[in-house]
Amino acid sequence: MLRVENLHLAYGRVTALRGVSLAVEPGAMVSIIGPNGAGKTSLLGAIAGDVAAQSGRILFDGAELRGLPSDAIVRRGIALVPEGRHIFASLTVRENLTLGATIRADRAAARADIDRFLSIFPILRERAGQPAGRLSGGEQQQLAIARALLARPRLLMLDEPSLGLAPKIIDQVYDYLAEVRREGVAVLVVEQNAGRALAASDSIHVLNGGTVRLSGSGAEVMQHAGFDSAYFGVAL
Amino acid sequence: MQIIADAIALGGLYALTALGIGLIFGVMRLINFAHGDLIAASGYSLLIAAGRPVLAAVVLALLAAVVLALGTERLAFRPLRRADPASLLIASFAVSVFLEKLLIVFVDSRPKGVDFLPGLAAPVELFGVRLQQLQVVTIAVSAALLAGMTWLLRFTRIGLEMRAAAENFRMARLLGVRANRVIAAAFALSGVLAAAVTVLFVAQTGVVAPRMGLTLVVIAFVSTVIGGLGSLPGAALGGMLVGSTSMLLQAFLPDELRPFREAFVFLAVIVVLLFRPQGLLAARGLRERV
Repeated sequence: MLRVENLHLAYGRVTALRGVSLAVEPGAMVSIIGPNGAGKTSLLGAIAGDVAAQSGRILFDGAELRGLPSDAIVRRGIALVPEGRHIFASLTVRENLTLGATIRADRAAARADIDRFLSIFPILRERAGQPAGRLSGGEQQQLAIARALLARPRLLMLDEPSLGLAPKIIDQVYDYLAEVRREGVAVLVVEQNAGRALAASDSIHVLNGGTVRLSGSGAEVMQHAGFDSAYFGVAL
Repeated sequence: MQIIADAIALGGLYALTALGIGLIFGVMRLINFAHGDLIAASGYSLLIAAGRPVLAAVVLALLAAVVLALGTERLAFRPLRRADPASLLIASFAVSVFLEKLLIVFVDSRPKGVDFLPGLAAPVELFGVRLQQLQVVTIAVSAALLAGMTWLLRFTRIGLEMRAAAENFRMARLLGVRANRVIAAAFALSGVLAAAVTVLFVAQTGVVAPRMGLTLVVIAFVSTVIGGLGSLPGAALGGMLVGSTSMLLQAFLPDELRPFREAFVFLAVIVVLLFRPQGLLAARGLRERV
């Protein structure tokens, strides 16, 4: 479904990605792990059209995405929950959800989906009319995921979904991602919380210095003799 | 009552201008000083339409401001959308000077009289108070437009997208909000507001000039800063406060101090910003445009 081939991205003289390649199949969960500055966020940003890659290919169902703006890419079926959630703090919870369905022409079905998400996340239903800025971090994460899913993506990308959340809330988030997968949505997650990603994913890519150092299933990556050097950049 | 009506009328005029500036700043982080030239172009449309029915003149003024607003967005500001705010500001000055010189070359640099809606100078008695009809019309039009803008922003899809874009443009695009559509809508609305200000302003002053919008825009910009840059309710509130304060100072300052009323207004602005530098209704997240 998604194929990233030999992707290069730089911000001026600072190189973020050096020839990254990976694939995500329908319904799969793929995690990108790595230390700060590894290029994880840049990779998701390039796929979502938020930042421009200089070379390489980003193919979604065989069609090239590189060069398309982010508002066109979400229409192709890729939604991003960025790091920090970026909910619209001054808008109500319901308005945030309505914005998630911006690209949909089926307004009645979109409203029904909003109500469905409000019943899946009861705390959001309780606060539907309140400014989203009043939600806690975990509630904001729920809102950000629900908002992204309202676009009915076939690939959901999440940047650090566990960052700043309590372990119990992280479990809830990953439980919900498992449900999303069962509905056929592929999930691409960037995580520093390597343990959580390793347990939940079909495949893992260890990114460091803008390069994929190691790839495989969770067990393969964990047991690989080069994991520490791939993750930390040095042999421990 | 007369003074209060004056204060509200001037406040409404500034609020409409400030809202036009605030809309564009909200979605583009552009302080559009060319907004004053929309007012001037709209004013000259009233001059061209002199002698024709009032409705035709108003429609022509509206078309001139909206078409010019959309034209400047498409030709000047869209290519610079990724530029930093300083470059955008300089571009807006350049567009403003260009449009002003066009008016001077093709029309005249001297102010011209326009006999627009002279009947509104007549008095009218309202709740036992004699007011000028023009004051009543100005207050009514300002209130209607502010209410209309509030409705549009709160209850329509494009309004929701504009509010989202004003708070976090990058995230709005990631959700599929079309940048070109939202920004063009903001420019078109700023054109509508500029035309409304022009109609009321020309009806009051009876004069058009190439730089007629400059003072209004400078005061409107100050109003948006007081209200909170990036906050649309803040822009309207700031405009209303600056206009009302200015008119109240005009009424209550001793005669020898009246020529300096603007100095008192700006002193008040400085005091407000000392205690609340983010403005009265601070905007959420001032982020880069992409």
